[in-house]
Amino acid sequence: MNLKGKVAVITGGATGIGRAIALKLADRGAAIMIADINDEAASATATEVEEISGRSATFLTDVTDVEACEALAVATSDTLGPADILVNNAGIAGSPGWQERSFSTEEDWKRTYQVNVIGMSNVTSAFRSQMTERRSGRIVNLASIAGREGRPAIPHYSASKAAVISLTQATALELARFNITVNAICPGLLWTPMWEQVGDRYALDNPAYEGMTARQVFDALVEERIPMKKEQTPEDIAYTVAFFVSDDAKNITGQALNVDGGFFMR
Amino acid sequence: MDFDGKTAIVTGAARGIGRGIALELARRGSNVVIADIDEESAREVVALIQAGGTRANYCETDVTQQWSTDDMVEAALEGYGQLDVLVNNAGVGGAPDFTTRKVPNVDDWQATFDVNVYGIVNGMQSVEKYMTDRGYGKIVNIASVAGRLGRPGFASYGASKAAAINVSQAWAYKLAPHGINVNAVCPGLIWTPLWESIGDWRSSTDEQYTGLTPRQVFQRAVSDIVPLGREQTPEDVGAAVAFLASDRARSITGQALNVDGGIRMN
Repeated sequence: MNLKGKVAVITGGATGIGRAIALKLADRGAAIMIADINDEAASATATEVEEISGRSATFLTDVTDVEACEALAVATSDTLGPADILVNNAGIAGSPGWQERSFSTEEDWKRTYQVNVIGMSNVTSAFRSQMTERRSGRIVNLASIAGREGRPAIPHYSASKAAVISLTQATALELARFNITVNAICPGLLWTPMWEQVGDRYALDNPAYEGMTARQVFDALVEERIPMKKEQTPEDIAYTVAFFVSDDAKNITGQALNVDGGFFMR
Repeated sequence: MDFDGKTAIVTGAARGIGRGIALELARRGSNVVIADIDEESAREVVALIQAGGTRANYCETDVTQQWSTDDMVEAALEGYGQLDVLVNNAGVGGAPDFTTRKVPNVDDWQATFDVNVYGIVNGMQSVEKYMTDRGYGKIVNIASVAGRLGRPGFASYGASKAAAINVSQAWAYKLAPHGINVNAVCPGLIWTPLWESIGDWRSSTDEQYTGLTPRQVFQRAVSDIVPLGREQTPEDVGAAVAFLASDRARSITGQALNVDGGIRMN
């Protein structure tokens, strides 16, 4: 219960990896603000959180909308108290229908950058004063192993996640003097709704994956590329977030840690 | 607790960072083998751990000798019945009189390679058969932030620590299919007997530090290069090792995690 009395905000916290992070931090005692664009799923996750830690709230948030992010910060402070922990998890893989196209469109590039990078910056800026005023805070940004090396088929996504790693370093340097740590996690291969899209896209024009279902593409990649020969889980990511926001990691900042079974070692 | 009923070996655990790692693992329930060549200091760590309620013993170990790390592993298995974690922490700054030289000589290059690189390899080679047969094991190697970027002056130490990261990756690949995680931790600025020597070395060989005590040299380095503005501690490194050696990090392998207040951002 090392997060008792802490307030954690999780963007994209309603489903998938974000939901797992919310439940894990609740399990450690934190009050949780679920900021998501999917209000119905957010409420369902908030109900689960309340059964664990007793305190949660939701806020309908489009991270690309600066005013919505500022309203989220106010709502968090009003309902749960000022944020101690911010987990920037909200992200997308492309503009709608991207996985059915052979090439990334301008819209894919713009939309991905808007949500994954500018959205992250919007939310971080909105919570900045709550943390700097108290000279304390923990920020964890969800990047991806796709950000470690340019990948074909998903260049727009890959580039946006490389930008997330860069943004993490810049924010870490900027906020270090306020005793705020900022780190990134690069998840490897997780079977989520997003990966279903990625699998469809890979099968589209890569001869190696022709005719395969998204899940078959996923399994093939796990076998080929992950030394540990296992897919990663939302819980794996949640455990790592819990480490970064704990006292154990008080002197770790600006790092990007791959949770990927050894897919990338840099 | 994460390490209830588990057994860890920590090399170089008599003093400094190794001592901090041993105490952190013990605090989380582990029995710990204190493998070192400094018997007197090692016995103090053993007594501290025993007073905390878990088991510990001193094992005289020269990590530069394969027979010695073989004996170390054999003794641990005899004494505790199982071995879950190996922390290859033993390290040197150079040959015993390295602080008297402005630049490293052949003895310094040899000593840093023998202990900081080959010592880790010996440790890994001594446990890999046991851990592979068991299909479980956690290895954490202590590198250094000095291994992230070559710098003039202390080139031999930095090169050996870069090699420590490299061998961690090599064994991570090799052992991943057997359910064994191998990771490295890169400590930043920590006030230890090694840093006392470095401070000594700088004040006697570099005129910008003339007249300063080793501790003053250290404090200047902290204020010059650590974004978070404070020194790191053996406990910080111990906590990071404890995370990487736990099942919470089961999907993390081949990574090198900087615990350095943001000195280098990976």
